[in-house]
Amino acid sequence: MADLTAITSWTLADVQHFARRAGFGLTPADAATLQAQAPGAAIDAWIDGTGTAYDPTAFNAALATADVVLEPLVSANTAVAGSVDVAAVAAPHPFLVQGAEAWRNNLNTAQALLAWRMQHNPHAFEERLALFWHNLFATGWHKVNNTALMLKQIQLFRGQGLARFDDLLVLVSKDPAMSLWLDSVLNNAAGTNVPNENYAREVMELYSLGADNGYNQADITQLARALSGWSFTFAEADYIQNPANPGQKFAADARFKVYDGTALAPDTRLWWGGAATVSSSQHATGTISLFGQTLDVTTTANGWAKGENAIRSILSMKGPNCAQFLAKRLLTHFVTTGYTAQDQTDVATLIQGAAFDLRVIFKTLLKSQFFFSAASRYALVEGPVSWLVRATRMLCPSLAAGSGQTPKGYPAWRLVTNSATTFDQMGMKLLDPTGPNGWKEHTAWLNSNTMRYRAKAVAALALNETRAYNGTTYPLFPTFVTTDWFPAAPASAQAVYDRLAALLQPAPIPASVSAAWLSALWPTGFTWDSASQTKARELAFLILCSPSGQLY
Amino acid sequence: MTTRREFIQTLGATGALLAGLDACGGGGSSSSSGGGTPPTPTPTSTSPILVIVNIDGGYDWLNVTPPNAGTNLGVYQTKRATLGITNPALLTDLGSGMALNKDFTGMDALHALGHVAWIPGIGMPNPNLSHFTCIDLWGQGAAIPAGNGWLGRFADTAFSPTGDVLRGLTVTPDLPVMLKGATRSFVSITSAGGYVYPAYLLSTTTVPDAATLETGWGTALSASSADPGILAATQAGKLFFDAQNNPAFGTGGTLTARTPTVPYPGDAAYPVQKLNGTALSTSLSSQLKLIAQMIAAGLPAQVYFSRLSGWDTHSNQAVDHPNLQRALGGSIKAFYDDLAAITTTAGLAQDRVMILAYSEFGRRVQENNGGTDHGTAGLAFCVGKSVKGGLYGGYPDLTSLDSNGNMKYTTDFRSLYATVLERWLGQAATATDTLLGSAYPRLGFL
Repeated sequence: MADLTAITSWTLADVQHFARRAGFGLTPADAATLQAQAPGAAIDAWIDGTGTAYDPTAFNAALATADVVLEPLVSANTAVAGSVDVAAVAAPHPFLVQGAEAWRNNLNTAQALLAWRMQHNPHAFEERLALFWHNLFATGWHKVNNTALMLKQIQLFRGQGLARFDDLLVLVSKDPAMSLWLDSVLNNAAGTNVPNENYAREVMELYSLGADNGYNQADITQLARALSGWSFTFAEADYIQNPANPGQKFAADARFKVYDGTALAPDTRLWWGGAATVSSSQHATGTISLFGQTLDVTTTANGWAKGENAIRSILSMKGPNCAQFLAKRLLTHFVTTGYTAQDQTDVATLIQGAAFDLRVIFKTLLKSQFFFSAASRYALVEGPVSWLVRATRMLCPSLAAGSGQTPKGYPAWRLVTNSATTFDQMGMKLLDPTGPNGWKEHTAWLNSNTMRYRAKAVAALALNETRAYNGTTYPLFPTFVTTDWFPAAPASAQAVYDRLAALLQPAPIPASVSAAWLSALWPTGFTWDSASQTKARELAFLILCSPSGQLY
Repeated sequence: MTTRREFIQTLGATGALLAGLDACGGGGSSSSSGGGTPPTPTPTSTSPILVIVNIDGGYDWLNVTPPNAGTNLGVYQTKRATLGITNPALLTDLGSGMALNKDFTGMDALHALGHVAWIPGIGMPNPNLSHFTCIDLWGQGAAIPAGNGWLGRFADTAFSPTGDVLRGLTVTPDLPVMLKGATRSFVSITSAGGYVYPAYLLSTTTVPDAATLETGWGTALSASSADPGILAATQAGKLFFDAQNNPAFGTGGTLTARTPTVPYPGDAAYPVQKLNGTALSTSLSSQLKLIAQMIAAGLPAQVYFSRLSGWDTHSNQAVDHPNLQRALGGSIKAFYDDLAAITTTAGLAQDRVMILAYSEFGRRVQENNGGTDHGTAGLAFCVGKSVKGGLYGGYPDLTSLDSNGNMKYTTDFRSLYATVLERWLGQAATATDTLLGSAYPRLGFL
């Protein structure tokens, strides 16, 4: 059974295990600082983001102003029809994918933004949580075709990712990107129309219950009726036009609305951009029968969408099924895939006992003896994006150090996502999963192709790859071996290995393997000179692309 | 959900149909080629190649090969009032109450040659209408646990444990469960180049101590481990490591460039466009071009896997579906024609290749507002000169749908696998049954 009682003390290895899973890792020094605190209070603060260690002031300031992804350069291509010379946009500036710049609608830029946030957000748990929910409520840009709305959904996960799960489920069901992704905007069941059941099926199969777990085809059809007409509108000011191509427009923001024939005000635009004062009528009125209960789903005069009750009844009527589903997802992402049926039931009991309050659930699970057990340690293959981000947290300058450098000591994430197609080829096209089931985790991350591109990514990081762009050469991942990796000069090849292993934290590497590496790299004696510093880079590459380096 | 009673009825119906499966074949039993002599299939190659085309998303085959006669037509006209394809001018009659949508570019020509085996109504017991469950089941091909697939198990059995690294290839960047074995999996190759160490590793910077690094990497990939995570990383990493620099790629570890001998969909010279007149660009044509290139280069692959996604037409079907059909049919036809120009050491490529196309399910008979929702029984088809063209299994009875309004399957999908394993990939009958976990009746198209 899963022992969900909280630990009362922790070792440095415990802290690092926690930080890898609940964030993107900690350097040995930062882990030691955290270890000095009692685990209960320290984990609460880590999750809540309270205390000076998680103060976002500097992060937000850098986010709002730093040209961290070289956006003006990347998009300054006047040879492409519809593009503009965005060098005219005054820098420094943010990532140019939200608000008034929504027309750029560039997936790679949005991916770079998320990667940069993961790397530098002092409240790392917020980003880890968003990544977890992004995989569970997997929504894809290739159909949504709107980066601003995709990022709005990610922000929903940051803001509400620790709410009650039923509240989160309702908010996701009303989310504009999701409405486009699974055809809610085209679900017309007014009168005798046959509803589009795409979202109704997946909200139960993929987002709350699991296949064949407590619902049937009739429930799907009925829920589809309850959610018919669920769509969104937006304001005129949020309809952003490409200055170089006036026909190209994108919504920069949106607001949930049931299309039931009532007035659009205060908005003026329908979900697809058409101007209107009244919504079309796509909403089924009357009652539905769901899980054996009868629910009135007619939207009320004040706009209250009573279909919400149908979503909430997934938890109220099928709570045990939902708890089992959620337990499985939490275990698979945060703890281990080697859980027993009893472990899953124990976590499901926790979830129901906490009335689906995610903050309570996360805090209990991530403090538990079960989470910290030896069997959970290095029990998971890490997804490629967080895996790469974690390596940059260990090897690239900190936010404070990087922001003081010229050019900034930040990875050129925008060039990484654009030119190296790293995220796609490593098997996690961030913000653009192939289907609504997201990415399978653990060993499913690995195949010959993803291993190839993991190796390529860490070669760029460890071996200091550069990329020339518009006449300037940038390191894809700025790294400084003597100052950041080895602030104290190592005295031996073994000391080089020990320090890199402490930073990169691979699963145990067989001694025979590490010994073979060291004797090959330093066959005759050791001096901490530039040649050895290059070899330290090579060793970092070998650790990161070794089988043990894929686990966390 | 299917009730127990329906399941038993379905089994009964299937049993009756299975008895006649072989008799139903025989080449062009329902061919539209004008009633002439059925073509004589080319004998199965001694070096056969299987090319899988995964029609991903659950394709609405009812609109690809719709009913055009009898009671099925009446139901179809009623339930597909908006989206149904009923105008004879848009259809080629295949006989037996089944027609072929002319948007399925090139397939009528292949059918007329007698090289297409159609298997309408293929499916499984107790379908649950989930993409992901059905994809897993189609991949596994047996109620065998451990998350491996029927072709992965074939690789476990047939491939050398220490060699044969390029014998099973997918041109998709992912590795579908279908291609995962317990000890062997397929290699993913998505481009003709980039397999030369260390050039692929860094674009702008020289890899220092490249030979030392390669050796060190290989050392890490050769260490044994009982940990399932490390074992998975070792197997996946080793597959790529062994594939890189493989002499089968040719000089420099990169496939020789090849210009297709026929235009593929999306090419400037290709005569068919999308409905809106724009180019019929599709990832499938690039995938099949790459496969043709690998066959021409003499790669030792016996099985290739490719995929065309986008078939989950809950909405906008009237536009998306014709475009998808044109891309799918056009790509297969171009590939088939292109193979005629490739001579390999084991013979003409066109004689060696059979294409198997399948989807995880068909779609609901009753349309919704502008699209179709998830359904059950599907349509698989095989294309090749060794194939005895015609209809196999039985077209589902649209007047006898299940309680959710979905078709009852008429042929178990594992009958298709059994046929292919035994009669194309050369597995013994008993080995075939072992790979699939049970003995399934063979279909008569091979």
